[in-house]
Amino acid sequence: MANTDDASTGVVQRIDAWLDEDMSVRRAGIVYVVLGLYFAFLLLPIVYMLLASFTSQDFLFSPELIPSLSDLTINNYVSVLTIGEFQRYFVNSTIIAVATTALVLTVGILAGYSMSRFEYPGRRGLLYAFLSTQMLPIVLILIPFFLLMYDLNLIDSHLGIVVAHSVIGIPLGTWLLKGYIDDIPESLDEAAMMDGGSRFDVLVRIIIPLSMPGIAVAGFYTFILSWNDFLLVSILSQTEATRTLPFGLQLFQAQNAVAWNLLITAAIITMVPVVLLFALAQKWVVEGLASGGMKGM
Amino acid sequence: MSTQSAGLSRYGEEFKTFLSETWLGYVMVIPATLILAVIIGYPILRGIQLAFYEASLLNPEQMQYIGLENFLRLLEDTTFQGALWRTILLTGIVVSLQYLLGLGLALVLREKVPGVEIFRSLSMVTWVIPVIVMVIIFRFLVQNGFGPVNIILGNLGMETSYWFGQRGPAFILVIIMHVWRNVPFYAIALLAGMTAIPKEQYEAARLDGAGALQRFRYVTLPQISTVSMIMIILHVTFTFKNFDIVYLSTGGGPLGSTEVLATYVYKQAFEQYALGYGASIGVVMLIIMLVFTVVYVQYESAE
Repeated sequence: MANTDDASTGVVQRIDAWLDEDMSVRRAGIVYVVLGLYFAFLLLPIVYMLLASFTSQDFLFSPELIPSLSDLTINNYVSVLTIGEFQRYFVNSTIIAVATTALVLTVGILAGYSMSRFEYPGRRGLLYAFLSTQMLPIVLILIPFFLLMYDLNLIDSHLGIVVAHSVIGIPLGTWLLKGYIDDIPESLDEAAMMDGGSRFDVLVRIIIPLSMPGIAVAGFYTFILSWNDFLLVSILSQTEATRTLPFGLQLFQAQNAVAWNLLITAAIITMVPVVLLFALAQKWVVEGLASGGMKGM
Repeated sequence: MSTQSAGLSRYGEEFKTFLSETWLGYVMVIPATLILAVIIGYPILRGIQLAFYEASLLNPEQMQYIGLENFLRLLEDTTFQGALWRTILLTGIVVSLQYLLGLGLALVLREKVPGVEIFRSLSMVTWVIPVIVMVIIFRFLVQNGFGPVNIILGNLGMETSYWFGQRGPAFILVIIMHVWRNVPFYAIALLAGMTAIPKEQYEAARLDGAGALQRFRYVTLPQISTVSMIMIILHVTFTFKNFDIVYLSTGGGPLGSTEVLATYVYKQAFEQYALGYGASIGVVMLIIMLVFTVVYVQYESAE
């Protein structure tokens, strides 16, 4: 009994001693191995699909795992990008995601500024009401939502999809922006108003420039949720004129046969804009989504 | 006379402040509130109302009030009960795995090894790509015949198959996709929580003779409990109500082995045209999530 106790304390001490070590070569080595395992799991699927998109259908239907240099081709990209419908989906996705982002940022900055700086009854309750909409099962809303959009004549229109996406983006967008605006010292507002500026001047000259990182995070979040959405578009889009990329990918999946080379290429093209945007915004996103979001609590 | 006008003007000043401040505050939240109220508030009330009616998608105007009949039917619907159990199981497994793996990733990302920033910035990429693209990636990886997973299994002399078409493996693949997509988000959020812990607390614990494991248990874990709570509530609700990951990858199959509540509601409403019955399942989902969130927040704030 005493022996096993001693043994386990010994193990704990050894682990403690090792964890306490300053960055030794051995410790760094283990960190890299663990990072390697994680990132193999996370990135290999994407990297392999990227590689496969540069090969022909012949290679994809061969028992080979790794393509040789002679297998590589850009034909899939040429084929997909020259399909008229696909170009149209790309344009639709861009218009809808940009318009959604603009709408969410506009109403979100106003609401976040109001919730951060003004005292009025029901302010806190309103923020919680906003956030609680995130908990609703979307499938429960789907039918009345469809009927409502039908009554509002917003079926199969860009505007209808933009409004639908905005509803998903506004709660978290407002919350994030409020958190960032809370961090701007109110003395700056007061100084500007002392100089005769209106609340609107404060918003434009002080709040917006100083909460740019928050605007970047909220804008990025809204853009990707709109760009990535499948469900709402599948309900609202009835014709080619409003179809977006995620919904349009079914173009390459016929009833029985899947054109894998074209499908994975189209899927890559669909994710390129959000990945590029993420690369640009990741400094703020990685810091902001986590820490900025918590400030709002 | 003069005092009266002074009093009046003071009243006027206050009224002006009220107008410009309180009203301006209201005016600025109106656009966001109005959009949410019309596009979400109204449909959710209609959805809850539908749960007490018999209504068909073919003729949604003709609704008949039937009280709790839809809910009573749920008690005898074994498909619903299977989906409910599967949804709870999926949510439990997925969120536990995500939290443990996310915590592990946060701990290695905290290590100050050269190049770790690159890993930090790369990590969230799985979280930003569209769900449909993720599903295509995984279906491509496990496709029958010449999918890379099957090529490897074949070379090892093991069984090959279209794994989304097999009952057990399909469920496991759904779990893997949830984990793959969201672990980095946990890691980054937990890492931010850890970075915010004052160094002095670790120093103090060290002086008290606490080893690295004890410092993790008594300094790190309590300090990240709020972030942990936010991440867990966020992902329990996300997984519990998730529709697209399951629907796009397996559609609830094969043979109902991945059917969850969200896909079952969708099928009841859009394939069986049973709007009222589908809505009653949605209401059950809503109640379960509300109860979970309230109980969890109470528990955490009691600690």
